[in-house]
Amino acid sequence: MSQPRVVAAVEIGTSKIAVLLGKLEGNTNMEIVGHSLSTSKGVKKGEIRDLRAVSDCVHSALGSAESKASQRIDEVYLALSGRHLEGNFNVGTATVSDAAGWVRQIDIDQAKTDAKRRELPEDRSYIHHIQNPFRLDGKPVESPLEQEGQRLEVGYWSVHADTAQVRNCLRIISGYGMEVSDIVISSLASGVILAEESEKNAGVLVIDIGGGTTDWVLYRGGFVVRTGVIAVGGDHITNDLSAGLRIGRKRAEQIKLENGRAYYESGDRNEKVWLIGDYTIGDKELPKAAVTRIIEARVNEIFEIVKSEIKQAGFYDPAEIASGVILTGGTARLEGLDQIAERVLGLSVRFADFDPGIDSELRKPEYTTVIGLLDYALQGQEHTQDKHTGGGILGGLFDILGISRREGAL
Amino acid sequence: MEAMPENDLGLESHLSVKVIGLGGGGSNVLAGISTERFPQVEYAVVNTDAQALAQSPISKKVLLGRSVTRGLGAGGDPSIGHKAVETDRAVLEDLIAGADLLILVTGLGGGTGTVAAALIAELAAKTDALVLTFATQPFTFEGSRRREVATSGMAELRGMLHGLIPVPNDLLLQETDESETALSAFAVADEWIGRGIHSICALLFETGIINQDFGALRNLLQGRGGKTIFATGAATGGDYMQDALSDLMDCPLLHTTERPSRLDRILVHLTAGPEMGLSKMQQVMTQISAQFESTEEIIFGAVIDPARTESLEICLIAKVELESTGSAAEAGGNQRAREPMEIEGGLGLETAIGSEKEKPAVHESKLLKKKKKAETDQDEFLFVDLEAQRGYFDQTAKNLYNNEDLDVPTYLRRGIKIKLKA
Repeated sequence: MSQPRVVAAVEIGTSKIAVLLGKLEGNTNMEIVGHSLSTSKGVKKGEIRDLRAVSDCVHSALGSAESKASQRIDEVYLALSGRHLEGNFNVGTATVSDAAGWVRQIDIDQAKTDAKRRELPEDRSYIHHIQNPFRLDGKPVESPLEQEGQRLEVGYWSVHADTAQVRNCLRIISGYGMEVSDIVISSLASGVILAEESEKNAGVLVIDIGGGTTDWVLYRGGFVVRTGVIAVGGDHITNDLSAGLRIGRKRAEQIKLENGRAYYESGDRNEKVWLIGDYTIGDKELPKAAVTRIIEARVNEIFEIVKSEIKQAGFYDPAEIASGVILTGGTARLEGLDQIAERVLGLSVRFADFDPGIDSELRKPEYTTVIGLLDYALQGQEHTQDKHTGGGILGGLFDILGISRREGAL
Repeated sequence: MEAMPENDLGLESHLSVKVIGLGGGGSNVLAGISTERFPQVEYAVVNTDAQALAQSPISKKVLLGRSVTRGLGAGGDPSIGHKAVETDRAVLEDLIAGADLLILVTGLGGGTGTVAAALIAELAAKTDALVLTFATQPFTFEGSRRREVATSGMAELRGMLHGLIPVPNDLLLQETDESETALSAFAVADEWIGRGIHSICALLFETGIINQDFGALRNLLQGRGGKTIFATGAATGGDYMQDALSDLMDCPLLHTTERPSRLDRILVHLTAGPEMGLSKMQQVMTQISAQFESTEEIIFGAVIDPARTESLEICLIAKVELESTGSAAEAGGNQRAREPMEIEGGLGLETAIGSEKEKPAVHESKLLKKKKKAETDQDEFLFVDLEAQRGYFDQTAKNLYNNEDLDVPTYLRRGIKIKLKA
């Protein structure tokens, strides 16, 4: 593709819609040319509940990004989250067919196809087949081609989504006259940009706590071994505060932002928090302990769930997650979140930091996923093969959804 | 204290009110209630467990399904409870005969209480008695099976009763002191329900400054189904007026799962010491009205209790029709074409009080009605925002993880107590 193209990375989040425009020149160079961050409406817990409202928000976000960049969008990459995302780990096998016992490409393909054979119910669609290491006669091998052995195995972490949710996302973008080039789950998009290659090799857990969901991805030995979504995020903290302090959502949100801390400490018992803070009638003092106890219970639970999911998958081994935890997402702004994560997960924790090459305006946890998405789009140009099967999965998805893909670029 | 018009007093004294504790949970609540204050009220306990009945201080005891359970109880199994209760339909029919108002108290999640409540509701439909039920919901820590039974029991009862007041134990645990055990949290539920029953009886039987009668209660609860909310606040000494008000607004029962975003009809009853004059009462009522501004109808009643000094107890019963809640109301639409019935003199209190001697009390409830067009500006309305335990997530699918709904605040599910006052 010789003409420069503008790729839009879009995340339809529960509280924010993030759009990032990247200009792709050649296949290796991406320049960020525009961005917008706007309030999301009609999304709860990462899932679209009011298509019309979400559509309007997304369209105006796309429009504003286009006009700020003075560029037209050519294609869209979309991040996907929500409780509806699930995954299975499937292992495919092949018996080496060559008489001399050398693994040939045909055996590799056979093992891969075998791993992806599992069919889904009609209302589910695959989003990713994420490849894990090959094993030849039980021993892990980096590249089995032309190695000697009898039995080849390959595992895939396959993530699938509720077809209706995916269809709604595609509709929103097609309503803007655009097509979706690829869909990437949010956790993967964040992970791809936040974790260094060395960290992915050593084992790292990236946790993105947004408004409505907590998306996580676990890397081991350079592979994505598991991803997960918990439909709990910052909105839940606000709701808990609203219920526990008997105050409205707006004020609960304000208290969370201004006085929130992820953990309770004994000094909070003597500290006071003003409900409104402007000395008007109806203002009242609340013990800070009430605020921090409510938040701690929730945040603690989020990390407990992540930990137990990783344990259930058989991957909770601190030695194998040597690079620890990277925290991001809007809720990562909560004071002390790293401390409670460390306490619950038993791993070292750091907040996400951004590549110095990234514009200071974009160094916000809200942009992490879309930056990762653009990176994904760029990588997709470099090697379009089996990594996320290029048009493969999405092509299938479009078929399922009965939406015809536009041929060629405009 | 003003004297009551004769005719009204005469009427009220014929009113038959029966308070019935059903199953183990309901019987426990009644055990803690003082029955002396309202001798007009009949109390009874109903159970399938003979031993539990024998231990109850309530003298009227009804054992159901002896042939089914041999008096050993339903063992928490609603299907056994159902068989047991059905065999003694006639006994229950006798029990409720002649009652104008039945106040049932039951614990949800067990084998007897819920099914007995359902049967009584069915029988009461024939006698035209008004049925109000307090139902305690089990703690999260009591396990998921009990919770499932409670949830289905609640759904079953909902449409059959005029008023179903859920009393979630998880929420009431918040009201206990930090050092206290779960056992004392059960006691809190009992105490709250006791307060509720006393307020309703006070409303019906005690004469006061502003009288409400059975008609007002019937009016409030009219129609089966819908959601009913009960809350209470009380304070003594100091700035007892403001304290009682904020105690009411902090009442955990205003924050239950069942609490919808808007209330249709509210009945507020005040019990105060003699030093609390009319003007102070009026202040309190004005403030309550302001808190519930988007409510269509607020009815006030007030009695003076000479035994109290510098003390105020506020009780609130509210009803919501189900069809008026949900997305239509949320979208800001006021579907009902009810005429706003504004009355002269703001709240209409002055009119009511001024005319008290001339007019029979029965009319005053009408005068005191305050009808307003619904406003749906939630952010302005402190009370409305105190949505349910799921609150913001009320209309979304349950967020189940290991059988717990993650949308319900964690601190409630874990029984972590939050102190709002130092």
